Amino acid sequence: MRPCFHPIECVIPEHMLESIATHGTSAQRQAALNNIRVVYQLRAERAMRASFKGLFDSAIPRAINNEKERVIYDAMRRDVLPGTVARREGDAPSSDPAVNEAYDGGGATYDLFMKEFGRNSIDNRAMRLNASVHYRTGYDNAFWDGAQMVYGDGDEDLPTDERLFNRFTIAVDIIGHELTHGVTQFEAKLVYSQQSGALNEHMSDVFGSLVKQYQLQQSASEADWIIGGGLLTENVNGIGVRSMKTPGAAYDDPVLGKDPQPAHMKDYVNTVSDNGGVHINSGIPNHAFYLAALEIGGYAWKKAGRIWYTALRDKLSENSDFQQCADLTHQTAGELFGNGSLEQQAVKNGWAGVGLTVGGDAEPKGCFEAALRFIGAT
Amino acid sequence: MEVERIKFERTGGFANMRIAADLDVRDLSDEQAVTLKELLDELDFPELPAKLTSSEPIPDEFTYTITVEAEKWQHTVITGDTPEDEKMQELLGLLNGLARKQMRKQ
Ligand SMILES: [Zn+2]
Repeated sequence: MRPCFHPIECVIPEHMLESIATHGTSAQRQAALNNIRVVYQLRAERAMRASFKGLFDSAIPRAINNEKERVIYDAMRRDVLPGTVARREGDAPSSDPAVNEAYDGGGATYDLFMKEFGRNSIDNRAMRLNASVHYRTGYDNAFWDGAQMVYGDGDEDLPTDERLFNRFTIAVDIIGHELTHGVTQFEAKLVYSQQSGALNEHMSDVFGSLVKQYQLQQSASEADWIIGGGLLTENVNGIGVRSMKTPGAAYDDPVLGKDPQPAHMKDYVNTVSDNGGVHINSGIPNHAFYLAALEIGGYAWKKAGRIWYTALRDKLSENSDFQQCADLTHQTAGELFGNGSLEQQAVKNGWAGVGLTVGGDAEPKGCFEAALRFIGAT
Repeated sequence: MEVERIKFERTGGFANMRIAADLDVRDLSDEQAVTLKELLDELDFPELPAKLTSSEPIPDEFTYTITVEAEKWQHTVITGDTPEDEKMQELLGLLNGLARKQMRKQ
């Protein structure tokens, strides 16, 4: 017999859930959600959230005092989320470094968004920052599941000399990266595929890197612009998983291969894997941001970060592509700092540095070149 | 289920490090081969839909592509990291382990 991969559709008819979501008391909604949460976990929750926005909103855990509230869980190497509470807001540090890193990194991310951009947590309504550490064994990944952050321990299950990854809480920019996926989910809702997906990844790298720079109080020229610094073990020839300063140069290793990120539109990678190369082509906007921030100078979160945050919140939408992101960040820079301002010029130059002309169209250049080739002019 | 080869690829994830392996079932230990065949039987692998991924991708989730080749058929399935079916999770765990081992040997 074929196993059922769509339990919501198979077991609970959609109209029933819809009815509970619409007509149920808040206790019934909660009960329905809890019940389903227990039985079907992650995917069911996500499907419900996607289908029933009202139910989702009431199910979001929020800080009681409307301030920063973190809860770090220990998944105890199992794949059941969230796990057991390991540290709550205000608790003394744990003896477990992963718990403290998730706590501190979540706090640093909250502080950047709150103090610099005036955003109160992921949903701007004091959403509680839930994170689970020690997820599964040998889990070399971190992700945002739509409601919380999840961190693996790398390949802790292998002998030391064979390990490639350390624990995923080790770099604060990874934590900022995952939380920003949450912010994007509430704002531009960039579809996680092709160029809009690469922009989703780009935003996570931008604010992940800014959390690190903010924590270290580094200017754009002092920062290393590395994503995942310290994540790779000494067995790997690499300084991190991505570089915004030099996309494509983060690692080059016999086992892991070479960093595949392009830094320019002419090297854009067309691929079906990785949701259409979302972690690959993000190198292009990443580098544009770096160039703009460097030209503006000073702390990157002050101006470039503010431009990007405002564009993510107010301008970008689900299917935005690179060209639109270039145009909209340029427009935002004009609104925030004045048309023709140095800041706006820096944004324009940043995009030009990766082959995108603000206000232009990415296509004609390619068409023009193709036409030249066709008539044998090149 | 008599199968000959399994091709396995993992892409995506925060670090986007590709893991891939081309496994000849005859090279596996007897125990691994038995477990593998049992899992494929229980999943009724050749009858699985080609795509088990959710319509809404999860940021930084892994994507797996599994191709099973037998003498008379071959079938490819793409799945995310958290399939509902426990047997599929077991299969992913087993193939992940084998792939990591094969990559380190090269
Ligand atoms: Zn990501």
